[in-house]
Amino acid sequence: MDEVDLLILGAGPAGMAAAAEAAGAGLVVALLDEQARPGGQIYRDVTAVPPARAAILGPEYRAGRPLAEGLADPRIRHIPGATAWKIDPDRTIAYSVDGKAALIRGRRLLIASGALERPVPIPGWTLPGVMTAGAAQILLKQSGILPRRAVIAGSGPLLYLIAAQMVRAGTPPLALVETQTRGDLLAALPHLPGAIRGWRSMAKGLGWIAELKRAGVPRHRGARDLAVDGAGRAEALALTAGGRRRTIPCETVLLHEGVVPNIQATRLLGLPHRWDQAQRCFVPRHDRWGETPLPGIHVAGDGAGIGGALVAELSGRLVGLCAAAALGRLDPVERDRRAAPLFRTLARERAVRPFLDAAYPPGPQTLSPADGTIVCRCEEVTAGEIRRHARLGCKGPNQAKAFGRAGMGPCQGRFCGLAVTAILAEANGQSPDETGYFRIRPPIKPVTLAEIAAMAPTGPDKDSA
Amino acid sequence: MTHFSARSLLKNALSGHKDWPAQWPESQPKAEYDVVIVGAGGHGLGAAYYLASQHGITNVAVIDKGWLGGGNTGRNTTIIRSNYLYDESARLYDHALDLWDNLSQELNYNVMYSRRGVMMLAHSVHDEQSFQRHIHSNRLNGVDNCWLTPAEAKAFCPPLDITARRRFPVVGAALQRRAGTARHDAVAWGYARGAAARGVDIIQNCPVTAIRRGPDGAVTGVETAKGFIRAKKVAVSAAGSTSVVLQSAGLRMPLESYPLQALVSEPVKPCFPCVVMSNTVHAYISQSDKGELVIGSGTDQYVSYSQRGGLPLIEHTVAAICEVFPMFRRMRMLRKWGGIVDVTPDRSPILGKLPVKGLYVNCGWGTGGFKATPGAGHLLAWTVAKDEPHPINAPFTLERFTTGRLIDEAAAAAVAH
Repeated sequence: MDEVDLLILGAGPAGMAAAAEAAGAGLVVALLDEQARPGGQIYRDVTAVPPARAAILGPEYRAGRPLAEGLADPRIRHIPGATAWKIDPDRTIAYSVDGKAALIRGRRLLIASGALERPVPIPGWTLPGVMTAGAAQILLKQSGILPRRAVIAGSGPLLYLIAAQMVRAGTPPLALVETQTRGDLLAALPHLPGAIRGWRSMAKGLGWIAELKRAGVPRHRGARDLAVDGAGRAEALALTAGGRRRTIPCETVLLHEGVVPNIQATRLLGLPHRWDQAQRCFVPRHDRWGETPLPGIHVAGDGAGIGGALVAELSGRLVGLCAAAALGRLDPVERDRRAAPLFRTLARERAVRPFLDAAYPPGPQTLSPADGTIVCRCEEVTAGEIRRHARLGCKGPNQAKAFGRAGMGPCQGRFCGLAVTAILAEANGQSPDETGYFRIRPPIKPVTLAEIAAMAPTGPDKDSA
Repeated sequence: MTHFSARSLLKNALSGHKDWPAQWPESQPKAEYDVVIVGAGGHGLGAAYYLASQHGITNVAVIDKGWLGGGNTGRNTTIIRSNYLYDESARLYDHALDLWDNLSQELNYNVMYSRRGVMMLAHSVHDEQSFQRHIHSNRLNGVDNCWLTPAEAKAFCPPLDITARRRFPVVGAALQRRAGTARHDAVAWGYARGAAARGVDIIQNCPVTAIRRGPDGAVTGVETAKGFIRAKKVAVSAAGSTSVVLQSAGLRMPLESYPLQALVSEPVKPCFPCVVMSNTVHAYISQSDKGELVIGSGTDQYVSYSQRGGLPLIEHTVAAICEVFPMFRRMRMLRKWGGIVDVTPDRSPILGKLPVKGLYVNCGWGTGGFKATPGAGHLLAWTVAKDEPHPINAPFTLERFTTGRLIDEAAAAAVAH
């Protein structure tokens, strides 16, 4: 088994920054990532993107290039195309590259597996032609592809960015449908001082909105009861706004209700999590250095709580410094000296977050879908069935597995987990913390029997070798 | 209790299956019961059902720290068989098999018992000799078991690779045709429904924290998260937690708790007609009704309460499965999990009275408790009701570990099964 000083899962801003900081202090680092090139989702393919596409994606995207280039440090081993499928509290990760499984262990481990888009269970969301807005952005970043007749719907600042990028690419969305209401904006007002402190982020957002206005993209606000219509594929998005039901014909529906931490890895490790009511999601518990209650295991980036790319990068650097000090490569006084400006910038970058969280809550359908809507796509379990489980005495998601198999498919609840917890919590009059979350089992991504077999010392491949 | 019949199914189908009533109520504990059973798995619920249905004792509570059927009942590989070597074991497991035969009809609840046959592969001369001995012994005890040549084994289970070049060559197999599988949750639900309909209280999410004894040493009741519950008879049927619960009554049990692992693959169309086991590599495999391959592995080498288990065991099991069934190599594993099994020194259960008045135990089933569910429930109910063991479970005492009258299935099978 390979062993390194700092093992990092995820080559997004947090993982790349932690790697650079730790390598700079003399640590041997391994960086596992599922994609072929570094960058994570936010800076996806930033090292390989052609200039024309980089212009469409904007300066926030191009800012990731120096980070990705920093991985050239000889102390950093970047292992691309690696699917991590088992992570143990002894800081060992089992992963597969090109159908070959291997083990690697870190004296310190950083889980920087980032965020995933909050699934948006509305009627018709399983039809072909419906995808998340982030998926459309991935197609743009990696392949330069965009859907032509698309409606973009949901809530959150990222919605504006993706719509603005579509405008720049010459294929503006047919409409921008927002579930955000005036009430949400009013509720965010008390957080205005923070927003003013984070004026840079606010200015960016207002710039995207202005771009959309100039391009003449119709905007529907306070939308309710979203549904995708169509026979066999998406043909229109129906919604109620301003007291009127309307239907927007389209070929593609891009849904987005914000991003949430991807907690598959931290749940697999059995780390304690808490429900963050402001962000409506679970976050792993950690201290200001990103260290979790399990010794030597850190979290950083959006996987530790949504903060965006800059916050992720800063929190990654802090983990790099902490790991270097813990392994005796950096004097604690020096660590604190280098960390002080990072903590200051971090506080400034986080200041805008409470305003954004309050102003862009997930729409009411997201965490309390209508009875007929499918919540668990893998096993085709509807919200109504989960509510029926609760009426029969089901208190939590793991018991719901026995009742109706929600969360037992290949995604292990990545899609339905938050909705199942929220529905059960609402139905039982419990908090999400009391309701709990799916127990995540290895492998977190499916792995073939042959790959596991080849790892065994007595395995068939070893014998024939 | 709703009676399930073709008529009631048809009637509810017309209304979209929305009007089925709850099959058991959510009970709160009373101050006192005649019998308290600790552990609402298949065994504990089965005991409550038989206490009510066969012995007329209905003032019974089954208490569980989680939800019913949420322990090992809900996390095993659902294999049912009775081809054990020793007379005592053969009688015990065959008693259970007899009850499985009519369980769906008796409970009016489909437990999906499928007699698809369990085939145990022999990979060496030693295996063959041991299996032949098992077969003869089983037949003398009236338990069905027969020997198959490699060609016959392949005919029974076509995915099997019997070519001799294999690391684990198949030199033959022992087949028990009456053996098979059942749906694990349905067994717990069926017994819970039957017991609740007869007046048994099933109290979930209520950990038992201690067993209390009076000045004369006899059991007086149990302390729980919902308060003290009086009972003159307490039966503990708590699998891996048995030793902890009984410690509070001043008893030290000869049990060790190990994680036992299993895994499932992605679902595929029906392709695997039976259950296949290999004791040599300690692997077992079957296909669920959903289409997933269910693969069982061995217990860890060390005691633990962690419900995860080590990767090397899974590697070893899966390597053997890929050898014997090459067509499964490219199937994807979706999930692996562990259950905590309580193992005795001779790998046979302890089922009977304890040296404390009013205290009974059903534990030590190791990795094979599911197959015994109806038998264990039936015999535990008998023992509690009559305050003496049934002839079938009479040899399975706690005292055998001091008298030396062991029922050494561990030595008989050369594996922890």
